[in-house]
Amino acid sequence: MPILEVNNLTKIYESGMIIRRYIEAVKNVSFSIEEGEIVSLVGESGSGKTTTANIILRFLKPTSGEVIVDGRDIWKDINTFEDLKEYRKKVHAVFQDPFSSYNSFYPVDRVLYQALELLGKNPKASESKDLIEESLVSVGLEPKHILGKYPHQLSGGEKQRLMIARCWLIRPKLIIADEPVSMIDASTRGGIIKLFEKLREEEKTSILFITHDMGLAYYISDKILIMYLGEIVEQGTPEEIISNPKHEYTKNLIESIPTLYKKWS
Amino acid sequence: MKGYALRPFLKYVSRKFIFLLVTYFIAITIVFILPRAIPGNPLSTLLRQIFQQGQANPELIRSVHKTLMEEFGLGKPWYEQYIDFITRAFKGDLGTSISSYPKKTLDLIAPVMPWTLILLIPSIITAWIIGNTLGAIAGFKRGSFTDKFTLNFSLIVSQIPYYWLGMLLIFTLSVKLHIFPGQGGYSQGTIPAFTLKFILDMLYHYILPFLSIVISALGGWAIGTRVLVIYELDADYVNFGELLGLKEKTVFSYIFRNSILPQVTGLALSLGGALGGALITEIIFNYPGTGYLLFRALSTLDYPLIQGIFIILIGSVYLANFLVDFVYALIDPRIRLGQSEGS
Amino acid sequence: MGNLVLQVENARAYYIVENNYVRAIDDVSISIREGEVVGIVGESGSGKTTLSNVMLVNIKKPLSLIDGKVKLYLNGSIIELNKLPREELQRNIWGKETSIIPQSAMNALMPTKRIKDSILDVMKTHFDEIHENEIIDKAQTRFEEIGVSKDAIFRYPFELSGGMRQRAVIAVATLLNPRFLIADEPTSALDVSTQKMVLKTIQNLREKGIVKSIAFITHDIATVRQIAETLVVMYAGKIVEISSIEEIIREPLHPYTKGLLFSVVTPEPEVKERGIYHIPGTPPNLMYPPPGCRFHPRCEYKLDICEREEPQLKVVNNRKVACFLY
Ligand SMILES: Nc1ncnc2c1ncn2[C@@H]1O[C@H](COP(=O)(O)OP(=O)(O)OP(=O)(O)O)[C@@H](O)[C@H]1O
Ligand SMILES: Nc1ncnc2c1ncn2[C@@H]1O[C@H](COP(=O)(O)OP(=O)(O)O)[C@@H](O)[C@H]1O
Ligand code: SF4
Ligand SMILES: [Mg+2]
Ligand SMILES: [Mg+2]
Repeated sequence: MPILEVNNLTKIYESGMIIRRYIEAVKNVSFSIEEGEIVSLVGESGSGKTTTANIILRFLKPTSGEVIVDGRDIWKDINTFEDLKEYRKKVHAVFQDPFSSYNSFYPVDRVLYQALELLGKNPKASESKDLIEESLVSVGLEPKHILGKYPHQLSGGEKQRLMIARCWLIRPKLIIADEPVSMIDASTRGGIIKLFEKLREEEKTSILFITHDMGLAYYISDKILIMYLGEIVEQGTPEEIISNPKHEYTKNLIESIPTLYKKWS
Repeated sequence: MKGYALRPFLKYVSRKFIFLLVTYFIAITIVFILPRAIPGNPLSTLLRQIFQQGQANPELIRSVHKTLMEEFGLGKPWYEQYIDFITRAFKGDLGTSISSYPKKTLDLIAPVMPWTLILLIPSIITAWIIGNTLGAIAGFKRGSFTDKFTLNFSLIVSQIPYYWLGMLLIFTLSVKLHIFPGQGGYSQGTIPAFTLKFILDMLYHYILPFLSIVISALGGWAIGTRVLVIYELDADYVNFGELLGLKEKTVFSYIFRNSILPQVTGLALSLGGALGGALITEIIFNYPGTGYLLFRALSTLDYPLIQGIFIILIGSVYLANFLVDFVYALIDPRIRLGQSEGS
Repeated sequence: MGNLVLQVENARAYYIVENNYVRAIDDVSISIREGEVVGIVGESGSGKTTLSNVMLVNIKKPLSLIDGKVKLYLNGSIIELNKLPREELQRNIWGKETSIIPQSAMNALMPTKRIKDSILDVMKTHFDEIHENEIIDKAQTRFEEIGVSKDAIFRYPFELSGGMRQRAVIAVATLLNPRFLIADEPTSALDVSTQKMVLKTIQNLREKGIVKSIAFITHDIATVRQIAETLVVMYAGKIVEISSIEEIIREPLHPYTKGLLFSVVTPEPEVKERGIYHIPGTPPNLMYPPPGCRFHPRCEYKLDICEREEPQLKVVNNRKVACFLY
């Protein structure tokens, strides 16, 4: 059974007070993710990636279609606060802007304490302290360099690692990562990518990796979905997509990506 | 204007209009409530007047009281008074004054309104132009002597309360130096008429109240524009323009144009405040405008007159606000053509 | 090799903030020759944009050129740009001899004027007498050469899409056929398909002879490799390696260059084979750069001397590298 199943998802945004405008941000999107699978959702700006992510995370209601996580329809079968809490333990998000996840008035530790609370653990217990340190070490952060610091004192990479440390505490079954490295310098990006791979290896976590960077998608994923103007126009393994793209849009996209080892003709 | 641009523009204007209509409704509701919250019975003042004129017949007083209560609807429950008030207000009937019974409120307001407008509009616009220009020059020459001088001058001037500045002007230029008259809209004894003599006399009386509004309002504009200009100095188009060799003069004109645009909306927003200031100015200078009438209405608790003045004043501020915004939409292409959606 | 066009010699350019220096450019020398596209790469904050301002001598508070020379080679004579007052640079150099596509090209055009009016303003600055129609005709031709519809010049900047706006800026920047053009991350904010068009546009500028030499600044080696012949690698305000781009990709010398190169991921089998790499740690705060080699806290090849002494750029097999390993 797949961990995530998205069926015929559609989202239409309405805007304008007097003259209504409709934007079909996501059109009839279907795909699924198996346990331990990393699936990339690739598309250009405005193609509907974030909208899809927000629906799966239950932040945004779809216009139609269903999202099934672990056998339950997240818009029908989650009714109580307890259900929602369970859901938040199962599906966790890592966002593009590592800044937005932090409150600049609190030390960064808070994001980890919040995770412990979600798990129903007493953040003050000494066991909790161990858990936190353990999670920091597993994302390559030195606890004593991080704990007690404020968001502005950490680099973007460190903040993003901290968000992944949260995943180590919660151990969700599915991570929705929306452009998690696009605001991070190329030279430190690889380290973050490796953390996602490690979670998948050790915890069998499934990951929906949202990116506009085909290189990253090619490198990290088992399956790539190509999104264009709200639709998934093509999907397949990275090799299939790169060496044998079928859709015109994909062909054009792949031709446009600058390559390192060959120069364009 | 091209067809594709029209839609967002119409949308913008109609949205704005509805917004103003709704807030206007709320505003006149507040106008309805406020005078009723002041303790005291408006009729008692009127009755005392009748009483003092020697017609002390209790029978008569009671019957006058009864007729007046009915006439002004004061005996009815508040919600009936309210509905009555709103429907009449929309029909343009602002009721009858209590203190100058039986004169219609509108007839009292109409003759004083032009005085207020003549005082208000030129002074606000003058302050806006001078203030913005000073502020822009100061901001462009950030850190220079001109900048420091303008900033300090503006800070001081904008902190002086309207009435204080008004009294200062009266004291120095009128009482001590006898340069300008400090009282009234025209010389006592003359009758308003369209003659050169009267107009010159009026202008002579006009200078001090005009100056007091201009001076106290321009500081705020200068400070605001200075900040907008400084903010704009680092804009990407300024850097690019300089690196293409643009002259300082051209760069200044770019910056001036872009930082003045938000100030046009600021002008709309400030109208209310300027109006309040003008009311005070009128009272200090004994100027025959709406402020003076309102002062009288308040001291006699003349509900209909207070309400009438406020309805007209708020209405004109809203109208001006709408027009200014409309003008803004026309002069800023980003709004006129509808800045494209997306980022 | 072509004649020299522009040369920066031992430049130090610091930002003065709170009685302290941000050493954004520290003893940097760079030469640009005729007909050449020089790529400049480095992480964000490594000093690329500051270097572009030094090359143009656009030195404005809080930036200050502490030391060094910037020479422009013009018809056989040498002009020391750093000695000219700003007004003179504006009148005779900027836009005419040197020009730039700024990093924030999206907002680089005057937002409340039609593009044609901005163009006319630029022309009025440089020529006493102008014929409007002639200029508009010429500008329209340039727009078409660059792949923007010629009607775009009657538009306001915000009416154009990101890629179009970027190219409109390129057109405006090259109106007067400057000999030397700096492109500061011209493609970083764009989608890949637009990126490619903009890259082609810049390539064409040189092929058509509109500009003679280009400095192409980016943080992405895969992008710059499509267009540049020479690559300059910057780290923490210093140049750590200069070499032909082919050689750098074949064999990067400086440990930082290696790290930067191996952290690039493109959809190529070579990348999957070699794996994805990352440089540990973060770039230093340039107010307090580490002593010795500025890269030593992050370097896996660090020697004892690296913490004490600063490596100088030196020639190794026709390439230049600043590292004690060579
Ligand atoms: N709240 C909203 N109201 C109206 N339209 C919206 C809203 N959010 C997004 N859109 C529109 O929906 C479309 C898809 O947006 P979305 O944010 O999902 O794109 P994306 O693929 O994540 O793009 P990016 O790569 O820029 O993050 C776009 O056309 C966008 O303008
Ligand atoms: N206006 C400024 N004031 C102070 N420091 C600055 C300013 N602009 C840039 N810096 C600093 O100078 C260094 C180099 O910046 P920059 O040249 O913009 O790098 P890049 O273009 O490579 O990203 C950075 O440490 C940056 O923080
Ligand atoms: S000089 Fe030393 S620290 Fe610097 S890059 Fe070379 S080996 Fe590494
Ligand atoms: Mg997005
Ligand atoms: Mg930069």
